[in-house]
Amino acid sequence: MRLPSRRTAAAIAFVLAVAAVGFGWLTQPDPLPASAIPAHTAERTNGELLYRAGSCFACHKAAQGAPDPALPSGGTPFKTPIGVFYPQNLTPDPETGLGRWSEADFVNAMTRGLAPDGRHYFPAFPYMAYRAMRVADLLDLRAYLMSLPPVKAVHPSHSVPQLGLARRGVGLWKRIALARPPFAPATEGSDSWKRGAYLVNAPGHCGECHTPKNWLMLEDLGRYLAGGPHPGGEGKVPSLRGLLAREKYEDASNLTLALQNGEELGYEDLSSGGMAAIQENLAKLPASDVRAIAEYLLSLK
Amino acid sequence: MSLTKRRLAFFAGLSIVMVGAWGAAFASDPAHQRHEAMETVQESFKPLRAIAVKETPFDAAVVKKNATTILEKLKEAHGLFPEGSGGGDSRAKAEIWSDRAGFDTAMKNAQAAATAMAAVTDETAYVPAMKTLGGACKACHDKYRLPQQ
Repeated sequence: MRLPSRRTAAAIAFVLAVAAVGFGWLTQPDPLPASAIPAHTAERTNGELLYRAGSCFACHKAAQGAPDPALPSGGTPFKTPIGVFYPQNLTPDPETGLGRWSEADFVNAMTRGLAPDGRHYFPAFPYMAYRAMRVADLLDLRAYLMSLPPVKAVHPSHSVPQLGLARRGVGLWKRIALARPPFAPATEGSDSWKRGAYLVNAPGHCGECHTPKNWLMLEDLGRYLAGGPHPGGEGKVPSLRGLLAREKYEDASNLTLALQNGEELGYEDLSSGGMAAIQENLAKLPASDVRAIAEYLLSLK
Repeated sequence: MSLTKRRLAFFAGLSIVMVGAWGAAFASDPAHQRHEAMETVQESFKPLRAIAVKETPFDAAVVKKNATTILEKLKEAHGLFPEGSGGGDSRAKAEIWSDRAGFDTAMKNAQAAATAMAAVTDETAYVPAMKTLGGACKACHDKYRLPQQ
């Protein structure tokens, strides 16, 4: 094989350099400035409610051997088709947790998928849903997390092929993903139904599993909450549509009881595929919020 | 009998035997059998749940009858998980066989809870017993059952 001429080599180097600069430019982080965060007196109890509504603990639960298994110190392996993630420590430890995060850092993580140092988060962390949360709710949630006892927890780095490049590449994906309009709060319907819509779509991020993804790893909105392959790779996620027509539940009271009690009272569809942990979190919400979720879900034809 | 008639009779007989054999194979398929057993468990849960959510009054006889059925069917189902009986339409996870000891413990927990439930005669002990039993079902399904197939 003949070596390429000096001119060809220079041309290849030039094209690669342009591609690298283009990639770097397109994948640049775009954080909200601190000045964009409104002044807000945080309500920790509302923050705790959102912590349950989002089932944060289901993914960020303490790794085996952690000092307090009830705290969200993260690190429990989270398996996805692209690799294994070790979720962030959500306790306020300054070294390994959220201790040094400003309000803007937290809002950027939740709504733009950005770490405080500007790195992109993989969408295994569901910021596509959280970006529809009200800023006041985000600040309340942060206040709740900051009130937890700090736990120092060092986790392995994510097991994803070409982690550094892949992480940067998430910036390209975000250009398409974040251009989609986020969930917009409903303007019509009862207050309870609107509350249910917000809880399901924003903090609850039900669509992350219950709405199938298209080839771009974006939710296929034509099949909103219609179920599909389980993101863990085994089995299927059930549809949340037509629950009444398919006689899964009799009415909103029945579904409320099911969400509050799960299989402890024999509602057998709420245990498998990771739903048990979600149901346990939903059970801790105020009854009116569980009922709101039930009313909204049962309205989906 | 003419030759045609005899042939017809032969094939008719053969198809009856084949359908029968297929039916027998299906009925003796452990995945099918344990599914049937678990369906009965689920049916027996309904009157128990109605008591727990106060749709119907507490009745020790109803509790004993249904908890006993649940116990029998759980024992039956427990014996119907031979190696290699997962896959296909079955919602059994591979962990049942890769973590057999854990699965056996989970199944025994449920049987112990059903035994305790059958002995409940006092209304105040009822809901806690129900939650222990349901909790055992939940713990096992969380770990060893696929969401849907």
